[in-house]
Amino acid sequence: MKPPTRPPLLRVLLRLFTVQGSWNYERMLGVGFGVAEEPLLRDLAGAGTRARETPYREAVARGSRFFNAHPYLCGLAVGAAARAENDGAPPAQIERLRTALCGPLGSLGDTLVWAGWLPFTSAVALAAVALGLGWWAVLGFLVIYNVGHVTLRSWALAAGWAHGLNVATALRHPGLQRSGAVLGPAMALGMGAALPLVASYLGGAFAAPLRLAIAVGVGGGVLLLRWSWLRLTGVRLGLVFLTVGLIVGLLWR
Amino acid sequence: MSFELQALLLVWGMLVGLDLVSVPQVMIARPLVAGAVAGAMLGDIPTGLQVGVVFELFQHDILPMGAVRYPEYGPATVAAVSAAHATSAADGFGLGVIVGLITAILGGSSIHLMRRVNAYAVRRAADALDGGDVRTLVRLHVESILRDAARAAIVTAIGLGFAAGVSKVMTLTSVLRGGSGLFLAVSATAAALAVAAAGTLRLVRGPTLAWFAAGLLGGAAGVWLR
Repeated sequence: MKPPTRPPLLRVLLRLFTVQGSWNYERMLGVGFGVAEEPLLRDLAGAGTRARETPYREAVARGSRFFNAHPYLCGLAVGAAARAENDGAPPAQIERLRTALCGPLGSLGDTLVWAGWLPFTSAVALAAVALGLGWWAVLGFLVIYNVGHVTLRSWALAAGWAHGLNVATALRHPGLQRSGAVLGPAMALGMGAALPLVASYLGGAFAAPLRLAIAVGVGGGVLLLRWSWLRLTGVRLGLVFLTVGLIVGLLWR
Repeated sequence: MSFELQALLLVWGMLVGLDLVSVPQVMIARPLVAGAVAGAMLGDIPTGLQVGVVFELFQHDILPMGAVRYPEYGPATVAAVSAAHATSAADGFGLGVIVGLITAILGGSSIHLMRRVNAYAVRRAADALDGGDVRTLVRLHVESILRDAARAAIVTAIGLGFAAGVSKVMTLTSVLRGGSGLFLAVSATAAALAVAAAGTLRLVRGPTLAWFAAGLLGGAAGVWLR
């Protein structure tokens, strides 16, 4: 079968923004994957005759099975699977492709976005607020973060559609390798710079003994969080600290 | 606070909650954004930014990988800003953080519950899905998104109700006077900074540790120069 000459990639891209909308413990991203992929499968249904509907329905069913990956890179698998369906690849091969892409797309997306781009842009925004940029820092964060976000989503879908079953080629794109190498240090540098600035922004108005108490609290808090046997999470540490603060405050009166 | 303003905060909290996972993940769910906009709605941008910064630091504890469960800080920040604003900025900051942390735990649990309900709905429609029924597929997806919107609205409503109740009780009983509010603010600041530092150190290993140290030195120099 010949793939569509004008694939509805924009429609698919818009649907990909909702890909996690039906996230569940059964099929994870599967239902969202199926919804996003469906417009690219419509040519399989041809003129809608009963005989032609079968491959279309089978492809839609395959699309909605279990799938999990990073949501921003999910388009790569959606495009590749849809292209393989249109190229008439055997169903078993398409299933294998989907399964094989889960791990790499998950770990690549986590490294690039959740552990790189997002904390880096957040750190820059925090530092900018601390330096007095206020609203501009928030707006700048939204714009800059989403330039990267939308670029990654669009590239992933286009690359998946272009490469089909050979989508592994796209994962070796030099831009991805370079971004991975740069974002880790950039995030570390950004968060390192943001922390003292934010400490000054939040604690600058307190008297010197209270600023010292904050410094001691930060050191103690980091140690407590890093002792894994305590199983202390950020939110629990926050509640513990606030309870201590409330008790000390009441006793102080 | 007027009913219109509460309704506006509720709608904002719902959008923020929806953005976290479902649609469209453009990061209005980040506490810095959620807090700044909530502050602007209340006519109190400094409080919105301050509370937003604190919860943005808490957010650095979270890596939303796979099926991991985590607190939801977006709607929680909206409730926290509301509490801090209602109690007056100086005393209410720490109180807002307490309200926010409890709402964040509630939000996280509600996400887990919603995912289980989604799984149940998928199981019930399994035959239609495996038969390639597009209408069922799309219906299931849209219903799940609407479910998430309702969930986020409920979490925000509970958070806002909690904020209103707690700030009223605290104001009437004057618990926050005489230093308690100050100690709460100090505790909240220390906890948020500790959480962000520990969260970053989890990601920073080997050679990137040097970059983190360089950043700390640069940031400290920036504070000193200011």
